[in-house]
Amino acid sequence: MNKFMTLLALSCFAVQAQASETRLQKIEVSADVQTVERGAEALMTDCRSCHSLKYIKYRSLANYGIDQQKIDAWRGDQPMDASVMAYMSEADAAQSFGVAPPDLSLMAKARNGGVNYVYSYLVGYFVGQDGMPGNHVYPTTRMPDVLGISGATDEAQRKPIQNRARDITSFLAWAADPHAPERKRLGYYVLAYLFALTFLLYFVKNQIWSGLK
Amino acid sequence: MPHRIINWIDKRFPLTSFVKHELTGYPTPRNLSYWWNFGFLAGFVLVLQVATGIFLAMHYKADIALSFDSIQHIMRDVNYGWLLRYMHSTGASAFFLVIFIHMARTLYYGSYRAPRELLWWTGQGLLLLLMATAFMGYLLPWGQMSFWGATVITNLFRATPFIGDEVVIWLRGDYTVGDATLTRFFALHYLFPFLIIGAVVVHLVALHTVKSSNPSGIDLADKDNIPFHPYFTAKDFYGLGVFLIVYSVFVFFMPDSLIEPANNIPANPMQTPTHIVPEWYFLPFYAILRSVPSMVGGVVAMGLSVMIFAFMPYLDRSRIPGGAHYRPIYRILFYTFVVDMAVLGYIGYIPPTDMSIVIGQWATLAYFGMFLMLPFISKLEEKWMRKRGLPAELQTLIESEAKDKSKIMHRRRKGDIA
Repeated sequence: MNKFMTLLALSCFAVQAQASETRLQKIEVSADVQTVERGAEALMTDCRSCHSLKYIKYRSLANYGIDQQKIDAWRGDQPMDASVMAYMSEADAAQSFGVAPPDLSLMAKARNGGVNYVYSYLVGYFVGQDGMPGNHVYPTTRMPDVLGISGATDEAQRKPIQNRARDITSFLAWAADPHAPERKRLGYYVLAYLFALTFLLYFVKNQIWSGLK
Repeated sequence: MPHRIINWIDKRFPLTSFVKHELTGYPTPRNLSYWWNFGFLAGFVLVLQVATGIFLAMHYKADIALSFDSIQHIMRDVNYGWLLRYMHSTGASAFFLVIFIHMARTLYYGSYRAPRELLWWTGQGLLLLLMATAFMGYLLPWGQMSFWGATVITNLFRATPFIGDEVVIWLRGDYTVGDATLTRFFALHYLFPFLIIGAVVVHLVALHTVKSSNPSGIDLADKDNIPFHPYFTAKDFYGLGVFLIVYSVFVFFMPDSLIEPANNIPANPMQTPTHIVPEWYFLPFYAILRSVPSMVGGVVAMGLSVMIFAFMPYLDRSRIPGGAHYRPIYRILFYTFVVDMAVLGYIGYIPPTDMSIVIGQWATLAYFGMFLMLPFISKLEEKWMRKRGLPAELQTLIESEAKDKSKIMHRRRKGDIA
């Protein structure tokens, strides 16, 4: 019986792996400077050979509090107001992979599922039974498994890769919406003000209406 | 001194009498519920959209090579540009939300009935202008959904008899949606709000001629009317506060929930998105479009589904005062209609499957069925209600209001009051 249950569970898992619309893993991204900086560092080595972030300028990285020495290393002889551009030209990349790698500036917003999609995609690589690589989230992707998750065999090997993917996703979340922390902070003040105002307006209304016979 | 200035103005312009006639002396039924707040809110959102829109236009570039970048420039580099843009994009949804509630209130309480037909029809015209403005504004960010949405919708004009293809090219200014389309949509998106303001003035003139309806559906005697200011200005401002709280939650904490993810990808005419969806406020009408198997039939059905509201004063044959509140069968019909709209909205949102197409077709049939059956249903309902006797509450209200009115007529004849 036990064996049967195991088989059943395994077959469910197999069916799941085959489906192209895999359920996305939910993750919490972080907006703190250390995480975003780690994510930027990982992205500069793993992603930037092919992908650009044309709406992200080195100066905005510095303004967010990322270490100036690291920024200087990433930008080389580019000015602070230059955008983060791929090392490989779009045409070369298109020739190598058959498709131009998309710009990553808005990637955390540009797919259904947002950051969950990006993370699940990065850790969604596997090696199929025929030895061919695949991706659960985006089966027809042309991007190779840059983080190497498909070669990781046990939890101890997967963990650092997952953390790296989470850092990259956190950086992309910041890149897609750099004003989010400021917006939320302002939002609390606005809501506090509006609650107080509405509360007062409610009493004004009642005061005025109480004069009616 | 202020008194002298006002006197000076009044000799040249009817300021005091205008304020008295339209605000401090404008009679408003005292029994209006909070459902009567939404007209004022729609006016407020209109001002908000114009104000944020003008500032966005200072930084936006209507050029297919620059527009997507200029939106990112607004979102990232312009001081509080993200706030302007999120207020404007959230404001579009807010506008439709308050207008839909405003219309639902009119349908529920039967406010469209005589003598308010023209008021209702000017509102119908405003709805069409609003839809056109929202549709053209949606092209401006030049994202994937902008481009493909505009392509699909302008393509519908192919259904025009004889000159369909020419009309489509004339609308786009090109064979496909391109730079010519973007620049004209921008020009018109800037123009239409001012047409809306003009139409709102007409709507308000009609309103102030026939006065507000009220939940009872009976024209109330003078003693039950109170001045708009200060009573309803105070009530409207309180309602505005509540509205702004909901609006701010969206603007500051979930502004992207109202923007389709695919619109964060620049428009690409070579790559069709797997699933083209319009904004949520067009979904029920989009579902009706897709439910009719032929393209021309779908376009006619969609146009009719928006315009059919205009026929309500003639479709509703009942003379029982008040709307759904006093009419049990009409009330069932109203709620069925709301549920049907929600079903259509959902069907319009999901990618079509065999099942969803059938559900969409039934929901479309139900949508038109309810309007077309209404003359018979309302007639039968009235007959049945008269036979059974009107609700006691309504009966007493009709009698007491009639008594009050005849008393006033009597005093007027005797010359006691003006």
